[in-house]
Amino acid sequence: MRLYIKLAWRNVLRNKRRTFIAGTAIGIGLAALIYTDALVVGMERNMIRAATASFLGEGQIHSAAFRETFAIDQTVNNSGRVVAGLESDTLVQSFTTRTLAFAMISSPANMTAVTMVGVDPRREPDLSQVDEAIIEGNFLDGGGERDILIGNKLAELLEVRLGDRVVVTAAQAHTGDLAQEMFRISGIFFLNIAEMDQSMAFVRLGKAQSMLDLGTEVHEIAITFVDPKYSRNTALPFWDAYSTDGNQALGWPEILPELKAAFELSRFSTVLVGLILFGVVALGIVNTLFMSLYERMYEFGVMRAVGTSPFAIGRLIVLEAGALAVVSIVLGVILGFVATYISMRIGFDYGGIDFAGVTFTELLYPVMQVSQFIYYPIAVFLFTALVSLYPASFAARIIPAAAMRKSL
Amino acid sequence: MRPSQHLALVLLVCPALALTPGAQTNDETEIRAIIEEIDQLYRSESSYSELEMEVVTPHWQRTLAMEAWSLGLDRTFIRITSPKKERGVATLRVESEMWNYLPKTDKVIKIPPSMMMSSWMGSDFTNDDLVKEFSLFEDYTYEFVTVEAPDDNLIYINCIPREDLPVVWGNVVIAARRGDHLPVWQKYYDEKGALVRVLHYRDIREMGGRTLPAVMEMVPQRKEGHRTLIRYTRVEFDAQFEEEIFSLRHLRSQR
Amino acid sequence: MIFTIALRNVFRQKRRTVLTVLTMLGGFALSAIAIAWSDGSYSYIIDMFARNQLGHIQVHGQGYLDRPSLYKVIGDYDEVGAAIERVPGVEFWAPRVFCAGLAAVGNKSAGVRIIGIDPERESAATRFDRKVTSGRSFSPSAAGEAVLGEGLAKTLHAAIGDEVVVVSQAADGSIANDLYTIVGLVATGSNISDQSALYLHLHDAQELLVLEGRVHEIAVIGDDLDDVPDLASDIKAALGDNGLAVETWKEFAKSFYHAMKVDQQGSWIMVVIIVLVVAVGVLNTVLMTVLERTREYGVLRAIGTAPAQIFRLVLLEVLIMAAIAVVLGAALSYGVNYALSIHGITLPVSFTYGGVVFTKMFTEINARSFYIPGVSVVLSAILISMLPATKAARVAPARAMRTH
Repeated sequence: MRLYIKLAWRNVLRNKRRTFIAGTAIGIGLAALIYTDALVVGMERNMIRAATASFLGEGQIHSAAFRETFAIDQTVNNSGRVVAGLESDTLVQSFTTRTLAFAMISSPANMTAVTMVGVDPRREPDLSQVDEAIIEGNFLDGGGERDILIGNKLAELLEVRLGDRVVVTAAQAHTGDLAQEMFRISGIFFLNIAEMDQSMAFVRLGKAQSMLDLGTEVHEIAITFVDPKYSRNTALPFWDAYSTDGNQALGWPEILPELKAAFELSRFSTVLVGLILFGVVALGIVNTLFMSLYERMYEFGVMRAVGTSPFAIGRLIVLEAGALAVVSIVLGVILGFVATYISMRIGFDYGGIDFAGVTFTELLYPVMQVSQFIYYPIAVFLFTALVSLYPASFAARIIPAAAMRKSL
Repeated sequence: MRPSQHLALVLLVCPALALTPGAQTNDETEIRAIIEEIDQLYRSESSYSELEMEVVTPHWQRTLAMEAWSLGLDRTFIRITSPKKERGVATLRVESEMWNYLPKTDKVIKIPPSMMMSSWMGSDFTNDDLVKEFSLFEDYTYEFVTVEAPDDNLIYINCIPREDLPVVWGNVVIAARRGDHLPVWQKYYDEKGALVRVLHYRDIREMGGRTLPAVMEMVPQRKEGHRTLIRYTRVEFDAQFEEEIFSLRHLRSQR
Repeated sequence: MIFTIALRNVFRQKRRTVLTVLTMLGGFALSAIAIAWSDGSYSYIIDMFARNQLGHIQVHGQGYLDRPSLYKVIGDYDEVGAAIERVPGVEFWAPRVFCAGLAAVGNKSAGVRIIGIDPERESAATRFDRKVTSGRSFSPSAAGEAVLGEGLAKTLHAAIGDEVVVVSQAADGSIANDLYTIVGLVATGSNISDQSALYLHLHDAQELLVLEGRVHEIAVIGDDLDDVPDLASDIKAALGDNGLAVETWKEFAKSFYHAMKVDQQGSWIMVVIIVLVVAVGVLNTVLMTVLERTREYGVLRAIGTAPAQIFRLVLLEVLIMAAIAVVLGAALSYGVNYALSIHGITLPVSFTYGGVVFTKMFTEINARSFYIPGVSVVLSAILISMLPATKAARVAPARAMRTH
């Protein structure tokens, strides 16, 4: 057996040009599979990031009653304990606390409804992208108690600019008394997400808490994980661990069911197209392999004439195919790696398009994963070996004389 | 939603005026005295009034007639008497809570906090206006000013709100008559100096034992075709009435 | 003359031809199916989404889409609706009234969005009746009934059979208020909408808001998503110029439109990759062939064939094979796509959106799924074959004839 393996290798390396051409053909197919996989993973990650990174976070913790009624009294229970837990949790990359209140904002020109969000200026930038979307002013960096940050569409509606005076009116917790406070526009953002640009106003957490008589309570804790795959896993013990005391911890699939649906569909589409791509690559392998082998029918005819058994011929062909596959895999992996790596550096530009209520503000980067360099090469190897069985059995059955006479 | 006009509505609810003959000096004490007068203009322990409110918008025009009772600063009861469609609609305010009664459906609705800034009964006033008020005296700083084309019979006072006061104005200029210090108009400016709206006082006459402008008209400067006019037809100061008026039970009863 | 030689060459070496044609055919068919799937599933989703609530086309009073207002109305909606219905290609139309207001049940009150609908038309157009999750939908004619969004019902602690007071400002400035009986709850698939939506029968809403014969929006469903732009023009023409604005889903559902574009960009990348793999396979075959026939080309050159002619010969062979591949591929992919467009592919996990359960996806047969693969395969085959063709043309006759 070892002899035949050696023979197979020597045959393959003997005709360098043919091997190289064939190997490249198959190798490109493999590289295509690797690259497409990386692209798709990148797209999915982007989709999720676009939905969660702008503001939502990958997971959120609220009091269970809050999600139903958005009543201002329904703050996160035992928030001190929850925060302590999150701080030491290895799965959590960052988290931030917020208050959410329905309020009215008015300027000399106009008045409209907004969601007033009290944020922690230290933690919030780690989690949301609002700070990266500032077009004027700053993200509550100034230190002013009465700083307020609004979207550009809201600024347009209120006809205000940086430094202008506005009044925010909201109902306080517990008593329902009206609270009114004056704020000055300290920043304007543009996220290209309509709901946020039009109807969200950010103030300091402390100010919101005192205005709404919340003490140290908060309504929402938003979380990002060290690996996005945790957020997708609804069976993760994390969710149960933080859904105690009347709280509810949810990942984005449950908070944004539309995104989940879109994601599932995209997954399915990808699998389908992936199968198609594999079909094309398989065809390429078939083509290449058959060509190289039929080329050498004369040679095999000679071998048979010289006394090699049909089985031996067949086995030799399969082994050669295996060797060719190895060469192809090496070429394909290198090519795939290079192509993916370059794309990872440059990225594709989608340019701020909305999808499922969410905006792609970032470039699309393919994502390289070790699994890509294991599964696909194995698949290619196995398939090549499989395909070679047909010409192998064909070659095993040839009549030497006829083979030596005919050419393809 | 239209900007709140709290000063005007406070006047609506508790009209009162102290007559003070004034000397004309330009010093600090003088200004404060005048402001105090104007501030006290709107205070009364208890009052009863009958008034009309005319609202003009680009799409429609309506005149509502109503009766209003007020007790102290935190209790108000208003009932609409005309037109027929709205007759019997009533609003009760006790401290920071507010209810509406609608005779057609015979229901009392509590106004949720989220709706406090929306318009009251379709007017240019908001529910919130009925609820809160600022003391001119404590929350602003004052100075005499000169205006373009001044009228010699008037004095002009510029009122600048305290920095963190929850109002959107940059400043308010009040024009008052020399002598009796009755307000003639109030102009509201934003912080950039643009005039946003004007409140006119007109038709000075004696009502309930005091002399006061019977008509107030609010004219937004940046909204075409909108204005609200309030006309008092009858006012009683220090009126006697039951506290029971300011109750939900009374709200429901058809008088 | 060269053509005959090419043709004969092609059919002479059956196996090689079969392999090459198979590769090109596979590439064609597979990319055709990929495009048909991507276009099809996308169209299906857009169609479902449009039919869920917004409609394919919307008609409004001028300026309503930009800044909605109670006063920007469509007058005489019955007539406008009838005119729309007469336009061929219109399947359904549904009138709507919108207004902000206050609703109270017992001692709980909340700000609401009042939506007046024609129950029959709305159910036909957007399956309103199927979104009702408890209780029932409206009676055919106005009967003082209300249907609440699920979230709103929770906020108001409201149950079927409860009375709800609705207060708003009417179009004539008066206070609009009335009592309604809650007969059902709906889930439209949009949580935000269900949190504040209160549906009334259109005529009840018009009476409440003093809007005789007027509505704010007419949603139109056409029978074919692809014809929507033309349909919109036809409707605009049919309505004459009475100041009404006609918009397609591309305008009032911009986010979805952009998402489609993004997706199409994605599928371009796929097609490029597929074409690349096919090209490589073709190159492989043709190169092998050329290398093998060096001697033959040598002979041809020796008898006086010009290099250019040999070049053309090689290309012609490739072209013939490509033509065969495209024809067969078109037939194959048409067959497959047709079957899939009728029966669809069952999704592994069905999902529900807006009361509609998606269990299958369908492909769409369109021109794109033919000409894109066709052009790509033929073009890439020809381009890639220029390399071996050049090689063949440059064969030095004497040396070539010495090899075997």
